[in-house]
Amino acid sequence: MTDSQVLNLKVEFGGGLELLFDKKRSHRVALPSPPSSPPDAAKKTPADINFLIHWLKDNLLRERAELFIENGTVRPGILVLVNDTDWELEGEGEYVLQEGDEIVFISTLHGG
Amino acid sequence: MSESCGNPNVESEAVMPRKAKFDKGKTCVKCKENPGNLVIRHAVYCKDCFGPLISSRFRHALEPHINATPSGPRRVALKPTGDLLVGFSGGLGSTVLLDLVHHSYLLKVVANVSKGGKAHPRNNERVWKNVRACYVEIADAFPGMKDRIEDVRAAVGRYDGVEFVPVRIQDAFDPTWWEKVSGKPAPPLGLDIDLSDEDVRISSSNSDSTPISALHSYLRKLPTPTAVHSTISTLIRILLLYTAHATTSSHLVQGTSLTSLSINLISSISQGGGFVVPQVTQEEWFPRTSPAPTESATARRSVRVIRPLRDIGMKECAAWAWWNQLPIAGKQKVPVSRQTIDDLTKDFIVGLEKDFPSTVSTIAKTVAKLAPKGDAGDRCVMCELPTQRSAQEWKARIAIRSFTAPDPSTTLSPATSLSPLLCYSCHTTLTSRSSRGAIPAQTGMPVAGPPSPLVPLPAWTVAHLAAPADTLEPHGCSPSDSTREGEQHGEVWEAKKLSVDDLRTLVGDFMLDDDS
Ligand SMILES: [Zn+2]
Ligand SMILES: [Zn+2]
Repeated sequence: MTDSQVLNLKVEFGGGLELLFDKKRSHRVALPSPPSSPPDAAKKTPADINFLIHWLKDNLLRERAELFIENGTVRPGILVLVNDTDWELEGEGEYVLQEGDEIVFISTLHGG
Repeated sequence: MSESCGNPNVESEAVMPRKAKFDKGKTCVKCKENPGNLVIRHAVYCKDCFGPLISSRFRHALEPHINATPSGPRRVALKPTGDLLVGFSGGLGSTVLLDLVHHSYLLKVVANVSKGGKAHPRNNERVWKNVRACYVEIADAFPGMKDRIEDVRAAVGRYDGVEFVPVRIQDAFDPTWWEKVSGKPAPPLGLDIDLSDEDVRISSSNSDSTPISALHSYLRKLPTPTAVHSTISTLIRILLLYTAHATTSSHLVQGTSLTSLSINLISSISQGGGFVVPQVTQEEWFPRTSPAPTESATARRSVRVIRPLRDIGMKECAAWAWWNQLPIAGKQKVPVSRQTIDDLTKDFIVGLEKDFPSTVSTIAKTVAKLAPKGDAGDRCVMCELPTQRSAQEWKARIAIRSFTAPDPSTTLSPATSLSPLLCYSCHTTLTSRSSRGAIPAQTGMPVAGPPSPLVPLPAWTVAHLAAPADTLEPHGCSPSDSTREGEQHGEVWEAKKLSVDDLRTLVGDFMLDDDS
């Protein structure tokens, strides 16, 4: 258990969101640990979905960040599934990621 | 856990306190056994129960309207009077709709046929004889937009038994298309309108432009990005309706989800469409041309427009598409400023739905109950939706101001205005300038030729204006209605009829002159 510990995740995009991520639907992600908060460096900050969202924006997103992220979380109209379950049932952005988790982001904004 | 300790940052920002996203536990409310997979407006469903829930909401919204007369609660055999046309945009909603149609009405028949063997095709169980999917390609309206007819053809091709019917947006300005779908000869010459004044004066067209260049000059002259947006919607609407008519479809279904329906309702009201709120949800449409005496009664059939996803939110559509691995081709977006009324409404509703999902459903249900006040007049010559009679009277008064005196002879004045024949919404679209000025340059509309306020009219509007007045409106209201209303509002009715007659004469004159 060191700072270099990574979480291996499967991240998928659907409903057109994949166009912002190299046009690839499925990505294998090795998510690094989030930086510890300076005042209490010994205390580890858990990697939650909010952290993943920012990491994806900085590392995988190719264009038009405003279509993915808004006010520190995913833009309204994006459905997030955590291991096939609506993230609203799992604490949304505060869900703490586990090794091997599958996270899906699906845009609902592509009209009728 | 997340219910008891909410995020304080969010709570201090939100005007209304944030509620937990689900009411009871995390177990499915339906089977009360499986852990839930999806929260739908505060109710939790597992994946097993989600599928049947969506299918049944779809059928519940569609099936009571399949037979010509509503069957009520009693279940009777479904016998539509014609075929089914699916309006397919490539977007999430219509992709899910096509999948549900196939799943509910085509797949089961195929299964029956294979079970019964080749000798017993149990086609009598099939609800729709033919199912077609119509896609309107808007690429040619905007430079640089990718033509996706082949992508969409492939998406529709996934479904056995669905015929693909591609249409192009410029067909709206193509007399050949009009002849094909209406079965009537198109007027030999087009008509132009003058968008520089409120009367929207009509004149005969002296240009022989192609449908594409006619479309371009039409869109280029529209006063605002919102007008471009709503014009594209209106053109798609009419193209779909006449395609439904031409393919002997009794029903046109569209993939408008609950979320989109709320957006459309609010957006339509804010653009002056309050009178046609009921039609935003469901509509019984008749072609505005009457059949020739030689044509059979079937030529008079109507098209019922239904939105079977109106109880299914965008979120459920996304989950259905994901769990059924449906590829989403994607809907073409009108490349105008993000600041149109439609876009702003969409941002508002989608944002609202994230935190207050039930509110969006309440909007759709409440607005859908609104009953507009006032009699319906003739239908608008542009969008073919009912117009409000009082609004027409008001507009007629405005138009009459340009005549010198209320003398019958002056009604033969050659100054003919389209305004009295438009609904309030279409009139606004054509003439209402934004305080910020016209369309910003970034719409990329090609600009060519000297500035002229004249733009060509769509093929159906030309045909409606050229058609004899007494056959214009065979169905909008039944003949007995017309007579009764004509008596009640004698003067008004006469005045309107005269103006349409005048128009006919006028248009006829133009055509003869230009022909010779
Ligand atoms: Zn269940
Ligand atoms: Zn109209």
